[in-house]
Amino acid sequence: MAAFVSPSRVAALTKLRCSLFETSYNPQNLRTGAKYLRRRLRGPAMVGYYPDKFNIPQILRQYKELEMVDDAEEERLIDVMDRKKRGKGAPKKAKSAEESRRLTKKR
Amino acid sequence: MPSARVIRDIKARHGVRANEIARRAYLFVARNETLSPQVRHHAQLQLNTFGRYTRPTTVKNRCVESGRGRGVISEFGLSRFQFRLKALAGELPGVNKASW
Repeated sequence: MAAFVSPSRVAALTKLRCSLFETSYNPQNLRTGAKYLRRRLRGPAMVGYYPDKFNIPQILRQYKELEMVDDAEEERLIDVMDRKKRGKGAPKKAKSAEESRRLTKKR
Repeated sequence: MPSARVIRDIKARHGVRANEIARRAYLFVARNETLSPQVRHHAQLQLNTFGRYTRPTTVKNRCVESGRGRGVISEFGLSRFQFRLKALAGELPGVNKASW
């Protein structure tokens, strides 16, 4: 049969063990938030998930001194102008809340 | 051109990276029971001021090829259909069609 050991003796033993093995002494098991500091940072790996794609507008914006033209974009803008001339452009944006309500009712 | 959802996801990823260390510091203070309740409460209020695109839970691994959010096979980062197309085209090393 095990001999009775007082709780204060057990606590002292635990404290001594903590100092010996360099672990933190936390008798009440309080949350210290250490896990948020211990965890690895996830951001750097997250940013690299999507592979870089060849983006023409971005490159043109980056190297403005090349004075190159994005043909597809130019053609699209010309098409939009043509459509506007024929009265087939996008509808006007509502300027106020009241106007917006009127436009939605018509639909 | 990636879809709007993919662009939003990329934005979230950059936001997470930029704010991760500050968020961790506030989390540490807010969840630390050895600190005073006032300090912890202030840290929690600061955490609440961070925007939507700074939380790691807003990041979703979408299909790299098509931007689809569901049915993404995580080993390849591809949605199930893009995975099939690429596998049949022989673009995924070590993947071949089952036959017995």
